Amino acid sequence: MGIQKFLFAVPFLFIFSKSYGQDTIQTEKNIELLSAVSGNTKMLLTGVAWFGFLYHINNTDKTTPKTTFNDFGFSPMFLWKLSDKFFFESEIEIQNDGTSDNSAAFDLEYAKLSFRLNKYMTIGAGKMLSPFGAYNERWEPNHIEKFPNAPLRPDDGVLPDDTHLFWGSVMGVDVRGGVPLGSAKMNYSLYISNGPKLHLEKEMGGMLQYENWNDNNSNKEVGGRIGFLPFPNSSLEFGFSGKYGIAGNQGDSLYNKIGATAYAVDFSYVKSIDAIRSIINIRGQFNSVTVGKANYQLTDSTTYTFDNAMQSYFAQFSIRPGMAGNKYLKKTEFLLRYSDVTPPKDAVWSPKDTNGQGGSIKRIDIGLCYWVTWSTGLRITYEISTMPDGAHPKELVVRFATGF
Amino acid sequence: MKKIIICFLFLVVGAGLAIFIYGCAESKMIAEKSGSQLWGENCIRCHNIPSSLEYSSAEWEVIGMHMKLRANLTDDETNKIVTFLKSEN
Repeated sequence: MGIQKFLFAVPFLFIFSKSYGQDTIQTEKNIELLSAVSGNTKMLLTGVAWFGFLYHINNTDKTTPKTTFNDFGFSPMFLWKLSDKFFFESEIEIQNDGTSDNSAAFDLEYAKLSFRLNKYMTIGAGKMLSPFGAYNERWEPNHIEKFPNAPLRPDDGVLPDDTHLFWGSVMGVDVRGGVPLGSAKMNYSLYISNGPKLHLEKEMGGMLQYENWNDNNSNKEVGGRIGFLPFPNSSLEFGFSGKYGIAGNQGDSLYNKIGATAYAVDFSYVKSIDAIRSIINIRGQFNSVTVGKANYQLTDSTTYTFDNAMQSYFAQFSIRPGMAGNKYLKKTEFLLRYSDVTPPKDAVWSPKDTNGQGGSIKRIDIGLCYWVTWSTGLRITYEISTMPDGAHPKELVVRFATGF
Repeated sequence: MKKIIICFLFLVVGAGLAIFIYGCAESKMIAEKSGSQLWGENCIRCHNIPSSLEYSSAEWEVIGMHMKLRANLTDDETNKIVTFLKSEN
């Protein structure tokens, strides 16, 4: 009886499996067809949220607080695959603007549409992260940055108006891609953008603003980055970046030929070392920006000039005992970073020592990050800065950032 | 003048790139790398490695395209990594 039932069922099983197999093949064919036409879109909402705390350890100014929950923000990122060739990406950043009126800064970080030309080249246009150095595009997002803050850079905390800031966003067009080179590989990003804007206002003369959405002249900046990964396991990468553009205003006979040249060198190395059950990561970037010689207003009746060049760099080392037995230790990454900014020493807006001479600003960060997930972690750093006037502000910076 | 020099440098690099593209194929060792190996080697260059279960197959396709642009991954690397992550879902 059992054998009869079995023999009766076999033809049905055969017909079912055959039709299921055909359905599967047909579904795969349909997916293949659909992926080639526009309208087959896939979208992902991702991003990062964070909050933080700051403790000015040796602040002697009795009029300012020593501690503050000053850091909060939310950055939704919209990734939209329109087809196998078209891709749109955008990020909005909402964060504490740092002013006393407690408002939040709202900024469109980037909004860029890309089109895949072939397997080695993609062209993109819009507001995009500047492909200058590696930090801006790859290491800066708050859920990726291991420290609770960025390396020392010419931002509002160090120099006014983010002058000479070498990263941020640019408006323009780029081409980029990755190319295999035998057992090594290289990658490239070349772009043309509005370029920088030169400040001429008194007390701001010679400052450079790269975020120049409505171009101040017809000249366009050209630049890019070339990266080399010499090892087959991609553990080491060197990047070389350069850019040049006219910064002066259109029609301004005194400044319309003043240009800005910048270059950067970056590197990163990642290695898993079984003997110490850890992963080490070394990364850094050197940047140099030089603005053409010009006279700037010092007072209403006098002008002055200075060597308008700025250098900055950082180098960091981190070690994470990711293969350790202890479940807490394996989630902890220990961090060390040194960074330095050398602004134009004779500019009226650069920080000075007690004798009125400009100099470098240096900072050491010693910290750790406790990773709850791959993109969520509690970052803590103790930082000691050295200002040109010899001051050594010390701060404890804490940030909890979660990628989603 | 500086602009001309920079343009010239990029032209030289571009010409070199064209030669590389048509003259240098990836080695057999690289071509034989699996998606899981490429996933482990490339993601960790910038960030921790997420679990393949973190996102759906459709989301991995979107992330693959995003990372190809952000990290300038090669076409083959991207395809292999995304295929691997989708297969693990």
